[in-house]
Amino acid sequence: MSVFLECKKMKRTGFLPAFIGGGILAAAVPVINMAVRSEMYQTKQGNPIQILLSANWQMMAMLNVLLVVTGACLLYHIEYADNAMQKMKSLPVRESSVFTGKVILTIFMSFLVLAIEAGAIAFCSYHWFEIGNGFFSGLCKNFGYAFLLMLPCVILSVLISEACRNMWISLGIGVVCVFTATMLPTNNFALSLFPFATPFQMLAGTDMEQAVRYIYAAAVEFFAFGLAELLFIKVRRSFE
Amino acid sequence: MNFLSLVGMEFKKIKRSKILFILLAATVILWMPSILNAHINFEMQAEGISPENNFFIQGFMGMAWFMFPASMVVGTVLISQTERTNKGILKMLALPISTAKLCLAKFAVLLGLAATQIFMMTGMYYISAVVCSKTQAYSFILPPLFVGKEIFLLFLAAIPMIAFFWMLSVCIPTPVFSIGVGLASIVPSVLVINTKIWFAYPMSYPFFVITSEYGKLAANLNTAQVELIPWIPVAVVITILCLVVSCIRFGQAERRS
Repeated sequence: MSVFLECKKMKRTGFLPAFIGGGILAAAVPVINMAVRSEMYQTKQGNPIQILLSANWQMMAMLNVLLVVTGACLLYHIEYADNAMQKMKSLPVRESSVFTGKVILTIFMSFLVLAIEAGAIAFCSYHWFEIGNGFFSGLCKNFGYAFLLMLPCVILSVLISEACRNMWISLGIGVVCVFTATMLPTNNFALSLFPFATPFQMLAGTDMEQAVRYIYAAAVEFFAFGLAELLFIKVRRSFE
Repeated sequence: MNFLSLVGMEFKKIKRSKILFILLAATVILWMPSILNAHINFEMQAEGISPENNFFIQGFMGMAWFMFPASMVVGTVLISQTERTNKGILKMLALPISTAKLCLAKFAVLLGLAATQIFMMTGMYYISAVVCSKTQAYSFILPPLFVGKEIFLLFLAAIPMIAFFWMLSVCIPTPVFSIGVGLASIVPSVLVINTKIWFAYPMSYPFFVITSEYGKLAANLNTAQVELIPWIPVAVVITILCLVVSCIRFGQAERRS
């Protein structure tokens, strides 16, 4: 119910075009990279997905994370800008279900973005490399992994934007967090679990055991932030 | 009303916006890893750069690449949203002040935020340099004159970029697009500085200036140097164009509705 409501609210805010545009932009990164210097990558041995992702994933992930942060800021900005939140609170709807709706919407949009990017990777592999056996299952695995690791980032950015009434504060915190994520060393497991740093991980090149650990950690973070949101609402209400 | 008092008024409007905390948090986070990893500054013999120069330039490169431009995008959001909530902009437009002047006053505030962040950055640099000098038993502190020259260059190089971001936020009333375009335009600047047409892309100026300074300080490193001839005219044209467009477009969406 509340998810559909959220979809309707998003209608004229430019939310959907922004995500599609961002997805296309991120998808253009490997295509342009291959178009400009294909000979640099074609000589490399190995799986095309791994070659393409290791060359482009940092930049694509950065665009994805920035997109999620911006989208999350907008989701609560429309509630706070004209005091719509007060009206929402007077409805027979729980405050946390508004949050859930927004998180589900953002998750769906990031799924869309990743699907566009997966399409671009498939195109690059088809055009410049050869599609071997098990290509599509490999592609699904890689992007499924990227999707799972995106979840903590999504829920935390929506939580931040719920916590801050003003859009620039939530955007500022988001930007500082993304920046922190780019500064963290990637080889340190504990530090790379920072929710804004997990989307920079990729499946290709990581061993299975480590990947499973990342997935577990992402799930734990996701539920931890969900719980934190419930607590946060309770605490905030007692101060209002 | 003269321009200075307009600018002063705009500064008053953002007094309680907490933007300074965000700018400060960014600079603190930026210098943390440099303090913790101060020892790697001694392993730069291959590049031929002295440890204190390396410490300084690596920190400022980290800032000029992403944090500084992104903070400026946040600044544009702050300035445009403080007016749009409760329709403050309509009241401002009703005053007998030229809209172009109003627009430029807001741009001046944005430049003020940029200067503030650069000063915070420099302050944090000196604090972390003192800390590292203590922990590493080696003086990391550079003369203020040199540091002053570098940060002044950085600020000058940032003006076209800030003008571009300001134009985005004035011309695109939907906040998600102006933010999205602004943030997305920062990401490719790493690639653009390696091409020949870097001077056509204002978002890459601050990073380019700092990397070229890095090349000057490191004896064995050849980074592209600033060529003033295509750059200065192009930068001036871009800045003026962005400012003219934003002055014309300022308040147009509000007047129509």
